[in-house]
Amino acid sequence: MSDTSDALANARAAADRIIKAKRLNACLTPPKELRSSLLRQAQTVHPSGVLYGMPVAIKDNICTLEFTTTCGSKILEGYRSPYEATAISKLKAAGALIAGKTNCDEFAMGSSTEHSAYGRAVHPTDKARVPGGSSGGSAALVAAGVVPAALGSETGGSVRQPASFCGVVGIKPTYGRVSRSGLVAFGSSLDQIGVLGRSVHDAARVLSVISGRDPKDATCEDRDSLRLPTVPESLQGFVIGIPKEYFPADLDAGVRRASDRALRLLKELGAAVREVSLPHTAYAVPTYYIIAPAEASSNLARYDGARYGPRFDGSLDVRAMYRRTRGEGFGAEVRRRILVGTYVLSSGYYDAYYRKAQQMRALIAQDFRNVFDRGVDLLFTPTTPTPAFKAGEKTADPVAMYLSDAFTVTANLAGLPAVSLPLGRIKGLSIGGQFIGQAFLEDEMLEAAYALERVVAAGDEV
Amino acid sequence: MSVSREEVLKIAQLAELEVDEEALPALAEQMSRILDYVAQISSVAASEAVKPFIPGPDAVPFRADEVKPIPLAFGPDTFAPAFKEGFFLVPKLGQFEEAEGDG
Repeated sequence: MSDTSDALANARAAADRIIKAKRLNACLTPPKELRSSLLRQAQTVHPSGVLYGMPVAIKDNICTLEFTTTCGSKILEGYRSPYEATAISKLKAAGALIAGKTNCDEFAMGSSTEHSAYGRAVHPTDKARVPGGSSGGSAALVAAGVVPAALGSETGGSVRQPASFCGVVGIKPTYGRVSRSGLVAFGSSLDQIGVLGRSVHDAARVLSVISGRDPKDATCEDRDSLRLPTVPESLQGFVIGIPKEYFPADLDAGVRRASDRALRLLKELGAAVREVSLPHTAYAVPTYYIIAPAEASSNLARYDGARYGPRFDGSLDVRAMYRRTRGEGFGAEVRRRILVGTYVLSSGYYDAYYRKAQQMRALIAQDFRNVFDRGVDLLFTPTTPTPAFKAGEKTADPVAMYLSDAFTVTANLAGLPAVSLPLGRIKGLSIGGQFIGQAFLEDEMLEAAYALERVVAAGDEV
Repeated sequence: MSVSREEVLKIAQLAELEVDEEALPALAEQMSRILDYVAQISSVAASEAVKPFIPGPDAVPFRADEVKPIPLAFGPDTFAPAFKEGFFLVPKLGQFEEAEGDG
């Protein structure tokens, strides 16, 4: 018989904290259901796991058996998956407690968590602002001290951008490092499960647990799970590239100050800092907003009222049922992306848009290879062009919203790992910076993040 | 480029998506804005020799071709809108075929 008293105490405390944080609208699981599930899990969890008793909140586009999986959408309202994601099975095997489902932009399409059918999530320190997105609920819960870590997902920056806005750590692993089995598909060539944590260590140890081979996902690489690096004394021997395209003349002044301070600290830690160029960066957002909607229009074809979730009914024929269910079940942003995706894949436009975007993606990935081939170990950039923006500020203009992903989409297009960590504050709002690493060299990237985190005084005004 | 109301309707039909008449003007304007914005990639010269980049394993590993039960925690009768005796129930398919013919 295992001793589960620590896990029970953690489960009770986590449930209390989540309920108290209701104002954030970050957790979609009803409080009673959450509490009883956490207590049930704590009674059966085995104390030998490396995450024993650690409550981990889960973005609502990752399938769990314990709770519904709605993807923040009306079209999956009440949907309970008959299987769980491999990442969830691995967390449970390591002794973690699945601490409810977090609010997100519908089907992970958004950068503010305002596009959720269940209401917007709120920034943890400024209720007028957004927590970022699409994993905004996960970021807000970690930032508010409700859970030490949470799972999110990245297609174009949906872990790092909210991590930056909320002042927490967000890791996007290399494409193929973590199984996508049970992650509801949005853009299959881009999607990866990522981790948000209070610290680099909290996020990295969760990543280590969920990483590694999985026969259920053919795009998951046949590799062992990630080994955690030690905290380095210095960054002597590291060559860190600073891509000039991420420091445009009109960069927010606070973001620039925080990034400049971090660069000084990296030099003081012994790293060699070198300016580099990634010349196709300016085309990353338009490239992303062709490829991701194209893949989404195909992936979301499965939601038609026949097999999952509610059916918006009263239809005389099956086609009317499909259209009504999809028209009423999807929100405005998802409908827009399905239409754009269908358009760029349609006959007559495919070459000009989709095929061209595939070529641009190759050029963007080549930019990174060129820099890494010249002896650069890592890149360092701001995570976002601005701090957290106000709710409603960008909802009327989809392109303005898309541009908040300008510094994050490149790593997704190139399949590279990246980690965002807090660098400081401007008028109380957190500013994040990111390291972008080489494929499957997360350990090197995390070493640099550990070292910078130790000296950066992220709570200070810059 | 400018996307017309009629084009939005045609694309919505291809996507099997009902669109409100009232929402059409705003949707056409937003789609035009998005497509104008993403079209800037056409200004970049890219050789036809540039191969598409897809991350992930170089070769997709094949599983053994064998039929195994799918380990589901519960059956589709619990999550399908309508399910009976092993089948998902939908309105008559014959009417779907007629609609196809009309198009």
